[in-house]
Amino acid sequence: MDTLGFLAHGFGVALAPTNLLLATLGAIVGTMVGVLPGLGPINAVAMLVPVVFALGLPPEGSLILMAAIYIGSEYGGRISAILLNVPGEASAVMTALEGYPLARQGKAGIALSLSAWTSFVGSAIATFGIVLAAPVLARWALAFGPVEYVALMVFAFSCLTGLLTDQPVKALLAIMLGLAISTIGIDANSGVYRYTFGSPNLADGVQFATVVIGLFAISELLIMLDTMHGGASIRIEQLGRSLFNRAELRFTNMATLRGSLIGFFVGILPGAGGTVASALAYTTEKRVVEKSDPKGSHFGNGDLRGLASVEAANNSASNSNFIPMLTLGIPSSGTTAIMLGVLTLYNLTPGPALFRSQPDLVWGLIASLFIGNIILLAINIPLVGLFAKMLSVPAWVLVPFIVVVSAIGVYSGKSTTFDLVLMVALGVGAYFLRRVGVPMAPLILGLVLGKILEQSLRRALSLSAGDVSILWSSPISITLWIMAAGVLLVPMLMPKFRSWRHKTIVETD
Amino acid sequence: MNTDRLLGATALAVAALMLAFGYGLQAPFAYEPVGPRAFPLLAAGVIAICGIMLLLKPEEPDQAHKAGSGMAIAALSASLLAYTVLFQPLGFVISTAIFMVPIAMIFGAKWWQGAVTGVVLGLASYLLFDRVLDVVLPVGPFGGII
Repeated sequence: MDTLGFLAHGFGVALAPTNLLLATLGAIVGTMVGVLPGLGPINAVAMLVPVVFALGLPPEGSLILMAAIYIGSEYGGRISAILLNVPGEASAVMTALEGYPLARQGKAGIALSLSAWTSFVGSAIATFGIVLAAPVLARWALAFGPVEYVALMVFAFSCLTGLLTDQPVKALLAIMLGLAISTIGIDANSGVYRYTFGSPNLADGVQFATVVIGLFAISELLIMLDTMHGGASIRIEQLGRSLFNRAELRFTNMATLRGSLIGFFVGILPGAGGTVASALAYTTEKRVVEKSDPKGSHFGNGDLRGLASVEAANNSASNSNFIPMLTLGIPSSGTTAIMLGVLTLYNLTPGPALFRSQPDLVWGLIASLFIGNIILLAINIPLVGLFAKMLSVPAWVLVPFIVVVSAIGVYSGKSTTFDLVLMVALGVGAYFLRRVGVPMAPLILGLVLGKILEQSLRRALSLSAGDVSILWSSPISITLWIMAAGVLLVPMLMPKFRSWRHKTIVETD
Repeated sequence: MNTDRLLGATALAVAALMLAFGYGLQAPFAYEPVGPRAFPLLAAGVIAICGIMLLLKPEEPDQAHKAGSGMAIAALSASLLAYTVLFQPLGFVISTAIFMVPIAMIFGAKWWQGAVTGVVLGLASYLLFDRVLDVVLPVGPFGGII
């Protein structure tokens, strides 16, 4: 079967009533979560991990639900950014820069509908990109053995530390802590108990759901205490004309296209998600406009082109994030890492073989991204007022709700007090780590990839009877090592890049 | 003390613990050149290096982040801990109804708003998860839903 045949098959899966329902549900819940300040896709997806098991969903159903929530919350993040200047998540910070001034000028309706449209265009372009690129990449990745996997994972880790964070040592520390957690439990090869401290609760490792919910949902509650706005009453600006017109569409077309492409390529890189993509798209668009049309530039005061490119980039990146996850089994963001972790809970090994062994899953997911984006566009233009109402839910309702869902989720796994207490302990620990600047997404990547990395490393060294030089014995692995070194060295050698990175991170974090 | 230095010292302590509890991890019969001990110790080693780097050369402190009041943080952590410890003994509905009161109050609710939130959440999610979705939740000391 060729790609088109597979895609048609995928649409068959995604259009099955249950899956269609899950995608719609995910789109709605995702948008609602995205609207809420502080609650990003990663929290929503983390809390969902146990729920999908409780619902007894098949792997493709749970991935479709999680993916819909993930892309939905990118749509939702823009609503609060435009209306209130309160970005629902990091990747919406750039949206607020142009969107909020537009809302102040009484053009909130235009800003919201236009950004919904450009979000859709960005997502659609990225999804086409997935269809074109993913099967090719997967076929190529089938040549990967344990040696190449070790090099690939080291490359992914160096992207996380070198390219995209201002504090590389802390990102590295986070990855290593994730790797350390992944070693807890019985060692599959030798049967030795590692770091279980005699507790039967730890014999088969720390439950994935316990870790992600603790690290994301629980620590987020403590972070909310730090950033609470004291229940300020929220006044929403007049929406004004609710749909953009043709002139505005033509005015922003090129910006949307540029943003989509930037987002697509940034999204493929490990560690980079919507946040970096939107920042890069914004600065690029600003430079392009200032060069070609210096008089017409309203950047900072509500330029539609800025808004269009940011939203296109952000959504494009969150869709193209799926490419490395599906083809290489290397997630490029915390959210896709959690989805990957869920796949392993279904005993599926993420990676290129999935395209062959699980066409329902892979192509169903890709097709559901198309469908999910159409649903999101359809619900986001007419229902924006309804979603904005989410902002008036008080924190004292929201927080207990999160606590209860988290506790039920963790408890549903093994029904032990141990896991519940561990969830709180991890949450409090993660809160302090986040406060001193240790990012959580690399930690979860380390946790998800830890077992695969260790297994690949041991298998590779078994092949060579312990000779380490096997790790750089193939052209692919050598290339990956060089790329990894390059990613680490570029920021050190290029102060200009470092200052750009610093600016981007500060603006977006 | 600079928070990065504190983090570095903590990282070193974690690495030391990993070394102490990981050094003895050896397979009784080795079938492969790399045993169960190498990978954890490798991770511990890198954690130690990170710790030393943070001690010697702290990165820029994160000024954007404002710390909340220590009291509120402690109160929320304690409420969460109490909730999870008593989740099983008290049963889902009772523990939720009790502990959502302080948690809601930390986030600005009046006590009765918290009580309503707790009772409604407890009953609604018990019915939804336990009865409809078949997620078994702990029953109360009276054997039933409470």
